[in-house]
Amino acid sequence: MAQPLVKKDDDRDDEADYSPFLGIEKGAVLQEARVFNDPQLDPRRCSQVITKLLYLLNQGETFTKVEATEVFFSVTKLFQSKDIGLRRMVYVMIKELSPSADEVIIVTSSLMKDMTSKTDMYRANAIRVLCRITDGTLLTQIERYLKQAIVDKNPVVASAALVSGIHLLQTNPEIVKRWSNEVQEAVQSRAALVQFHALALLHQIRQNDRLAVNKLVSSLTKGSVRSPLAQCLLIRYTSQVIRESANNNQTGDRPFYDFLEGCLRHKAEMVIFEAARAITELNGVTSRELTPAITVLQLFLSSSKPVLRFAAVRTLNKVAMTHPMAVTNCNIDMESLISDQNRSIATLAITTLLKTGNESSVDRLMKQITNFMSDIADEFKIVVVEAIRSLCLKFPLKHRSLMNFLSNILREEGGFEYKKAIVDSIVILIRDIPEAKESGLLHLCEFIEDCEFTYLSTQILHFLGIEGPKTSDPSKYIRYIYNRVHLENATVRAGAVSTLAKFGAMVDTLKPRVFVLLRRCLFDNDDEVRDRATLYLNTLGGDGAVVETGEDVKEFLFGSLDIPLVNLENSLKNYEPSEESFDINSVPKEVKTQPLAEKKAPGKKPTGLGAPPAGPPSTVDAYEKLLSSILEFSNFGKLFKSSAPVELTEAETEYAVNVVKHIFDGHVVFQYNCTNTIPEQLLENVTVIVDASEAEEFAEVASKPLRSLPYDSPGQTFVAFEKPEGVPAVGKFSNMLRFIVKEVDPSTGEAEDDGVEDEYQLEELEVVAADYMLKVGVSNFRNAWETMDADCERVDEYGLGPRESLAEAVNAVINLLGMQPCEGTEVVPNNSRSHTCLLSGVYIGNVKVLVRLQFGLDGPKDVAMKLAVRSEDEAVSDAIHEIVASG
Amino acid sequence: MVAMVFMREVLTADVDNAQLGIRLERILFFKQEMELSLIGLQNAGKTSLVNVIATGGYSEDMIPTVGFNMRKVTKGNVTIKLWDLGGQPRFRSMWERYCRAVSAIVYVVDAADNDNLSVSRRELHDLLSKSSLNGIPVLVLGNKIDKPEALSKEDLTEQMGLKSITDREVCCYMISCKNSTNIDAVIDWLVKHSKSKN
Repeated sequence: MAQPLVKKDDDRDDEADYSPFLGIEKGAVLQEARVFNDPQLDPRRCSQVITKLLYLLNQGETFTKVEATEVFFSVTKLFQSKDIGLRRMVYVMIKELSPSADEVIIVTSSLMKDMTSKTDMYRANAIRVLCRITDGTLLTQIERYLKQAIVDKNPVVASAALVSGIHLLQTNPEIVKRWSNEVQEAVQSRAALVQFHALALLHQIRQNDRLAVNKLVSSLTKGSVRSPLAQCLLIRYTSQVIRESANNNQTGDRPFYDFLEGCLRHKAEMVIFEAARAITELNGVTSRELTPAITVLQLFLSSSKPVLRFAAVRTLNKVAMTHPMAVTNCNIDMESLISDQNRSIATLAITTLLKTGNESSVDRLMKQITNFMSDIADEFKIVVVEAIRSLCLKFPLKHRSLMNFLSNILREEGGFEYKKAIVDSIVILIRDIPEAKESGLLHLCEFIEDCEFTYLSTQILHFLGIEGPKTSDPSKYIRYIYNRVHLENATVRAGAVSTLAKFGAMVDTLKPRVFVLLRRCLFDNDDEVRDRATLYLNTLGGDGAVVETGEDVKEFLFGSLDIPLVNLENSLKNYEPSEESFDINSVPKEVKTQPLAEKKAPGKKPTGLGAPPAGPPSTVDAYEKLLSSILEFSNFGKLFKSSAPVELTEAETEYAVNVVKHIFDGHVVFQYNCTNTIPEQLLENVTVIVDASEAEEFAEVASKPLRSLPYDSPGQTFVAFEKPEGVPAVGKFSNMLRFIVKEVDPSTGEAEDDGVEDEYQLEELEVVAADYMLKVGVSNFRNAWETMDADCERVDEYGLGPRESLAEAVNAVINLLGMQPCEGTEVVPNNSRSHTCLLSGVYIGNVKVLVRLQFGLDGPKDVAMKLAVRSEDEAVSDAIHEIVASG
Repeated sequence: MVAMVFMREVLTADVDNAQLGIRLERILFFKQEMELSLIGLQNAGKTSLVNVIATGGYSEDMIPTVGFNMRKVTKGNVTIKLWDLGGQPRFRSMWERYCRAVSAIVYVVDAADNDNLSVSRRELHDLLSKSSLNGIPVLVLGNKIDKPEALSKEDLTEQMGLKSITDREVCCYMISCKNSTNIDAVIDWLVKHSKSKN
């Protein structure tokens, strides 16, 4: 104890960290615990030893079974002492030791005695311990006392019983529910804590009875709650009631809104905040309802208490996502928070401002962010980076300053996650904003010159290999890449070799120079690096002659495999070395999950480097390869689009089948992915019989059966249709799975020779207009719109009839057209009466299409829509209108 | 021990005679402490015995002791700490923990419950075989002699096998908590042992 006094003048931090128990040892403390057995107890000493034991337990020290038992029984002997402080420690110790049920029962009688003692502290704590250790049978014995305790005059005792009730409700709900009357009485208690606990318990007892909760809230909102904590709870329960009753309220008057609004004038800050937050989180909150809540939050922003500032700015940050306009009033207050001492507050303030701000304020905000970036923790830096990224996508014209900011922070110190977030952001910006490409690539190049993360280096090298050769001056990247071969570890060197080879293959003028570099790599001391260099030199024709590299060689070296890597990995693991070499064709091509197009919806994290960097997703590549490898389909031409898989069976049926629709110019191919989920069956000669009588323009031309479908090993069968060239024909198809089923002996896995023909009805499948539309986004919709010929614009108005909501109508039209929403316009703000949505896509025949949809509410539920289409071909513009007209 | 410390303090202290007189008086009546464990099968009458010793009251309507009751009773100048333990089977393995280092073990037997005597005998002998309890005196009390079917002291001594216990002091009294029969003798025995121990 003397130490802190001595150090008082030196260093205050040290003093704060100093614990009198620092470095105590379990063995020694257990020895000391023998004082519990002394005939003459020293209560003060015993309390100290218990404190030490508790300290050890809290530090994560564990006692063996023997040790814990020994300590527990000696602690029970302390019940002989009447010292109140020591008894209190005994209660805590019993709870913390939580001995086994057969041992802890020894203290039951003593606790029951204390529970009815005259000393308040004994009663309160004995109740807590007893409820902790009790089982159902004992509970019925003590129930009478607990009910009494709930309405005990002493608030500490009442609270103890109520809190125990909350715990017991989990294990013995039927008993606790019988206490309703007492709990209700406790809700009216004058003691704040009792009221709080009683309300919490009463609500939990009734939580499954909506009417009862409703009644509880109605009666309490009339104003009998004095405790601020209980009032906060009441606000939460009220929000719950509002949420659940929102659907059957037509008049527009929100029940209990007045109560919430009234709480904004409560004298306790926590109640005010709770009410304000509840209002901002109301479903479909209107700006009229929002205003008073925002006003009090705005006041909190300039509070002297950091916790209030933090709470307010955090709530406003959330509101800014849905109601940016409502928050703009607070912009001035939030700007002063940018320099707040508390960096969490500053970060939230600035990211909120970025959401509400306009293009003109971006530069100023960036300058301010730069000032404090070095002061905040990595996780907050990531928040900022993500905010910058979405800002950049929102205002593409600002890419220069934002890209500069990203490259600056990329150069500074930071952990892996932070650096990865920055690199991901730059990659996304390069992909979406063509003007940002060259500068972005150079920033990445600079970064890998001094990058400590192998993962990031290899990913960037890979990305450079794809994007670099397409730039105006690919040669300037070579130096950065070749530097890696000298300076980095083997993994990065191998990646650099591959990237170099890509440049060589794609840019003929660079080829001879690249070969020189590759040849130097032949002397690398790592196998993989040498192997790669040798492979590239041989296949790309490294004999020095400037020859054009064949398409098939490029495809072989750099193309994606037409099989999912997971499947390949599994097959390779299962392959046993033998005479027979590994056959890549034996790898199943079934793709388990197919995210068709990466959506740029806000809220959804862009996957950055993890995703394929450019062009159509690799699943489409895989489909294309798969289809062209089938002879019957090889003359169908280029695959235009493959749909996401559509399930044709319910989950957990005998056979699981889904279908992928492949659209060609003059053909449609249905790829049925089948899985047999019955271990005792082997299916052979599996086909799908398609009835196209409701799809007049389609004629079946080919079918490719699946020879054998063993248990749990997916296979595919195909059916191809001819359709009029270039026409977006639609229709409905009914499907029947036909096959020969053979019994399999589960013990040997061998199938019987004879099989039975059988059929299995599948669900219907439709080819719709959206199947002829590729989701292809544009980074700057307005530019794209302006550059398209206005002559090909077609405008018309449509009435969509009564709709559930505006958002639902917008979604329906987007799905009908199958186009890519741009600039986040697919999100409809709550309660807006009108909305504009921008879509872009490529229509069959490779025609670019842009669509501007304007929605408006016409009457309470009727939605009207103005559709403006611009495309490179007026016939296509007309076709889009036709889709909408007939949809 | 405590008394001796006080004595030394008194002798070395530089105090006047009047004060010395008061001190000496205190020492003469200075309270002694002793610790007892009360065990035996359930419904033998342990908690009733505690009540009778402490207050003299008796009640037919008792609930089984779940765990233990701790009571302090003052008789004359002796303060007795009583660990009254539950007699149900689930507590019997824990008896030993509360018997370590006590002045005496009081073992209560229902003398009118012939069926359970053999169990009672086995539990007693099991307990006394524990090395941690070596040499601690045992007082066996045959309770409920108010009932006609109650055994005599000789029969109880015989059936409990008390003669075979030779490594410690063993004593046996026949009592009735209901009628307070022989309770004084019990208290006397206890007080005597507190003195001998200290």
